[in-house]
Amino acid sequence: MTFDEKTLRSVIAEVIKEMTSQPASAASAPAAAAPAPATLPAAGKMTLTEQGDAPKGVAPDEVVIGLAPAFGIYQTETIIHQPHDKVLREIIAGIEEEGLKWRVVRVYRTSDVSFIAHDAAEYSGSGIGIGIQSKGTTVIHQKDLPPLSNLELFSQAPLIEMDTFRQIGKNAAKYAKGEAPTPVPVRNDQMARPTYQAIAALLHIKETEHVDNDKRPQAVAVSFK
Amino acid sequence: MDQELLMKQIVEQVMQAMNNGGSVSAPAASAGGKVTSENYPLSENMADKIKTPTGKPFTSLSYEKVISGDITADDMRISPDTLEMQAQVAESVNREAFAGNLRRAAELIAVPDDRLLEIYNALRPYRSSKQDLVDIANELDQKYGAKTAAALVREAADVYEQRGRLKKF
Amino acid sequence: MKSKRFEVLANRPVNQDGYVKEWPEVGLIAMNSPFDPTPSIKIENGRVTELDGKCRADFDMLDTFIADHAIRLENAEKAMALDSLEIARKIVDINVSRKEILDITLSITPAKLTEVVGKMTIVEIMMGMSKMRARLMPANQCHVTNVKDNPVQIAADAAEAGVRGFAEMETTVGIARYAPFNAIAIMVGAQVGRPGVMTQCALEEATELMLGMRGFTTYAETISVYGTEPVFMDGDDTPYSKAFLASCYASRGLKMRFTSGTGSEVQMGYAEGKSMLYLEARCLAITKGAGVQGTQNGSVSCVGVPAGVPGGIRAIAAENLIAMLLDLESTTSNDQTFTHSDLRRVARSVPQFFSGTDYICSGYSATPNYDNMFAGSNWDAEDYDDWNIIQRDMKIDGGLQPVREEDVLKARNKAARALQGLFRELGLPPITDAEVEAATYANGSNDMPDRNVNEDLKAIEDMMARNVTGVDFVKALDKAGFPDVANNIYNMLRQKVAGDYLHTASIFGDNFHVLSAVNAPNDYHGPMTGYQISEERWKQLSDIPNAIRPEDI
Repeated sequence: MTFDEKTLRSVIAEVIKEMTSQPASAASAPAAAAPAPATLPAAGKMTLTEQGDAPKGVAPDEVVIGLAPAFGIYQTETIIHQPHDKVLREIIAGIEEEGLKWRVVRVYRTSDVSFIAHDAAEYSGSGIGIGIQSKGTTVIHQKDLPPLSNLELFSQAPLIEMDTFRQIGKNAAKYAKGEAPTPVPVRNDQMARPTYQAIAALLHIKETEHVDNDKRPQAVAVSFK
Repeated sequence: MDQELLMKQIVEQVMQAMNNGGSVSAPAASAGGKVTSENYPLSENMADKIKTPTGKPFTSLSYEKVISGDITADDMRISPDTLEMQAQVAESVNREAFAGNLRRAAELIAVPDDRLLEIYNALRPYRSSKQDLVDIANELDQKYGAKTAAALVREAADVYEQRGRLKKF
Repeated sequence: MKSKRFEVLANRPVNQDGYVKEWPEVGLIAMNSPFDPTPSIKIENGRVTELDGKCRADFDMLDTFIADHAIRLENAEKAMALDSLEIARKIVDINVSRKEILDITLSITPAKLTEVVGKMTIVEIMMGMSKMRARLMPANQCHVTNVKDNPVQIAADAAEAGVRGFAEMETTVGIARYAPFNAIAIMVGAQVGRPGVMTQCALEEATELMLGMRGFTTYAETISVYGTEPVFMDGDDTPYSKAFLASCYASRGLKMRFTSGTGSEVQMGYAEGKSMLYLEARCLAITKGAGVQGTQNGSVSCVGVPAGVPGGIRAIAAENLIAMLLDLESTTSNDQTFTHSDLRRVARSVPQFFSGTDYICSGYSATPNYDNMFAGSNWDAEDYDDWNIIQRDMKIDGGLQPVREEDVLKARNKAARALQGLFRELGLPPITDAEVEAATYANGSNDMPDRNVNEDLKAIEDMMARNVTGVDFVKALDKAGFPDVANNIYNMLRQKVAGDYLHTASIFGDNFHVLSAVNAPNDYHGPMTGYQISEERWKQLSDIPNAIRPEDI
């Protein structure tokens, strides 16, 4: 893994552009249908349509996936360039493989992945939720746990590959069924920080620009192309 | 469960001790004036003045009694008087902010573990309405005599209101 | 044509690190930002009405807390009127005592503290550290974790770390639900290695407190504070909840410190256009105002952010110095991987290692870095001899000492067996003899057999529901035939009744004798003062097993 200077430069350029030319357009727009900005190509493979305040679920056989504010709209790939549509597809496939239902909500009040996952868990009929940030950091949560605790945490976004996302979906579904799955093996790479921390900070700044502290979780209809 | 009952008894004992003049601000050790850094470490230099919250002398604690069950987890705790002495030590070396924390802590000894965790969680952002926090302050004040801890909660209630950090949904 | 020289340089480890240019508008600047506030204070009727250029009506939650709790007001206007350069000069002047400095620095605002250290070079900052550190002698802390959360390995690694000299040990988890096992394992291992080592388990705040209350840990450190209000909220706390939490710990006789560091606000997306160091000065003011005895700071897990911008490593040393200027126990990070370059990682540690701080590393990895679940440390188990030899080269005491292999193996084996016995007595999933054997000789979790994770997690849930406490560990170890280890754990529990170790910068020496800034205060005031390495200690530090004896040739 080497540091990709070009990506960093383009991220900085984008952030500057947004900060200087975006007084009201994106961050505070009521995100009626959330059409992907034309400049972001990968979003074309998935449409995320917001449908107002998400209801709290009652179905005990559902897992709720909570998306961070910029996921799939203002950012379309993880820190290691995994396209968001594929990421979401994998998580959903993992849940479906276990025979459970899924729902997607977008959390606006925070960009912190633990809270996003905890909100998803609170809205989930099974009490199990998954939270995912644009850069790929993911948490499996249960509503009775403290927000900054978790069932499983995948804190090192640069180490999360596609098959891990499917495993995350599967394990979340198993928790929802009352099973005790073996946690997805934890991975650790001490060189992820020197390579990625600065860029992770920039991606998170970008995510956080879309936080709306007063907005409840929104129901999201997902269609893949 | 008898554990709960025991806890309740201990709380009552501590409360009673505090009401009977053994109050947090007037510790047992005050006979010879203020405790200072000269007396530190207290476990070596003032061991005879230290008691557990269950009233057992520090010097009576022993490994053997733990093994035999004469000493339980409830004995192995710090008491308000001891924390007050440590606060005085802190003041004698110009650490008054730290001393303040130890005094606030002395008040919280009587609050059971589970309730203490609940109160802490209630003070986290977006968890409580203003009334919830005011109720907690009153509980700390009236039920446990925790005056400075109650004042901190009241202060938080006002600041959270001003800054929009009370419970939203 | 491409230059061969430049090709070689491009492939050097240092060029695999990420760097960014300063961007002061969003706070991507280490210190001395043009957007940092101008220091100021106004006091009316004993109440701060203006702080660092903001009037009370414009205060955010952090300003309010700092104004109401963090600054000594009696002397504040006088201290604030002093020229920052003059204060900086006093800090490096051996004729001005630590106490005289504190009389000034405890009365000034975060912006002023930032301005003062901003006038100092890295060498002057190091001189400041030598004088301003709270405890007389330096010490060190380690991380003991592994990627499998294997408790037997944790116990063995902690025992070895005890033999090597660490005064404090910290564990954390890959899987959060493993926490109680990790906490037990590090405590048992530590008390085998050296009686009196303090242990902790880094977790979500309420869970961490619960484990402390139940006697699974003896102190806590990962009580995070942040320099802007929105980031504080994302950290799920406020200065008020954190101050309350601090008192909760003390009410149970548990030592604790806060933690903070430059870069966290940028990392978490809300730096409000201020320099990393100014925001860190606010964190430290909150720590002081909450009445906490100390801090772990020095960017900590966000080190990649300041390290990526110009002057960032200097800023990290400067933030350590600010902690000391607030009379806080200073636990100075050096605990997180931030570079591919061995040269850079040594240079990053020089200020704290050579000056000496209360805890030089707040997590030297006692395992190889692949097992370090704090995402890697700046120093790991494979650097033990480098650390020891640098101590020997420079004649400094970095808290560790050379060891003999047979002593280490003995301690590792005993810790693994003690944990095996404790698990058996508490009815936990068995630890096999093969696991004990593997843990004795292991370098890392690659050398350990896998445990049945689900069975462990179920047993943990059951154990916690049974309300098992530290007293039960003492009894179980006694029954298992390890009365000496049980006795050490009993002694740690006993310390919580007396509370001596709640004080600033405490460690335990021999026979559980506490050494802190109360009875062992730093009194450095120039050459041949302050902490002096004794002859006995120097012998220990310099006696590396691989040095050739002249008489043997």
